[in-house]
Amino acid sequence: MTALLLGALGLFLSLVAPGLLAAARWPDRAPAPAVVLWQAITLAGVLCALGVVLAGPEELIRAADGNRRVASAALVAALAVAAVIVLRLLVSLGGVMWRSRARRARHRLLVDLLDRAEQRHGLDVEGLRVLDGAQPLAYCVAGRSPRVVLTGGALDVLNTTQIAAVVAHEQAHLRHRHELVRESFTAFYQAVPRPLRSRAPLDAVRLLLEMVADDAAARRSGGDAVRGALTLLSDDSAGAGRDRRLSRLADQQPRSVALSVIVLVGAVALLVLPTLVVVVPWLSVAVSNWPL
Amino acid sequence: MPLGDLEREVMTQLWGSAGPLSVRQVHEAIRGRDLAYTTVMTVLDRLAKKGVVNRERDGRAWLYAPVQTREQMTAGLMMDALEDTPDQDAALAHFVGRLSPEALAAAIEAARRQG
Ligand SMILES: [Zn+2]
Repeated sequence: MTALLLGALGLFLSLVAPGLLAAARWPDRAPAPAVVLWQAITLAGVLCALGVVLAGPEELIRAADGNRRVASAALVAALAVAAVIVLRLLVSLGGVMWRSRARRARHRLLVDLLDRAEQRHGLDVEGLRVLDGAQPLAYCVAGRSPRVVLTGGALDVLNTTQIAAVVAHEQAHLRHRHELVRESFTAFYQAVPRPLRSRAPLDAVRLLLEMVADDAAARRSGGDAVRGALTLLSDDSAGAGRDRRLSRLADQQPRSVALSVIVLVGAVALLVLPTLVVVVPWLSVAVSNWPL
Repeated sequence: MPLGDLEREVMTQLWGSAGPLSVRQVHEAIRGRDLAYTTVMTVLDRLAKKGVVNRERDGRAWLYAPVQTREQMTAGLMMDALEDTPDQDAALAHFVGRLSPEALAAAIEAARRQG
């Protein structure tokens, strides 16, 4: 019974819930809690898979009244499969983090060499670098010694307030370590076997992190400045995400405290309730039955 | 002068020159900064180790040249900043959007011309 319940919950969390959450628009009013909810859904999905692997064989054998030797073998096999799942996730996470760090270190080295220091006079921003180029572009390079990068084209089209807004947006990414969140979702994406993997969580979380950074920038420089910068640094090819960011910034009350609380409670419940309701009773039965 | 500024200054000299430069030539070009010759030599050595500068022997002196033009390196950086697929380990967060088709074509062209 435990394995069936966990399996059903796991399938719901990995196949149904991401589609629902990705299609919803309420996360725009509580972007940071929505990111936590995405993390809870992903983690709970993994825990369900592990629960099925561990509980399934034990329950089958108990139901079939199997002998102790078969039961021991099944336990070892189940533990091995669970270990493979966990290892695959950890290896993927380590690989993504290592490669991202190497790529950012190289990027930082080059951007320091290409920096047009003379163009950033009057802009007192820690780690700011200015690149040649008419293409208006702004981004940040996370790490121990982070960089905020603007192109000459961006400095040309943005006014002073809009530049401050863009810088505040990038600094919010850096301050809240958004790169770690993105790396963990990228690692999960890469660890899932190809036919099962989905971009939906990755894309949704990325957009939500942009909204979190937009809110930080709007607190510093005002929503209009962020909207102006967004409009000037992109065109329609930037897609629906840009439109969602623009429309919520036009809102007088872009964020809802009540919604945030509900979403956070839901995220915690998603991780705690299955454990209490399904796993703990199973554990007490299983431990008393197992040939340990 | 901090090491980072010095490296940038040296690269600016190399990028601004029509051909490879010796340590002495670089040193003379930025002499106004009261720099030791050996400091310039160390900086060029570091840049060569980082793979952004090529070093070749010319008689008894070493000559240094950037591996890419400033434009090529800039185009490569922008592509790196904007390249963003899940299989590519999204490492950088950019403010919005992506390169316009013309700018992307120009960046690819500049990166292709290198070498
Ligand atoms: Zn951003």
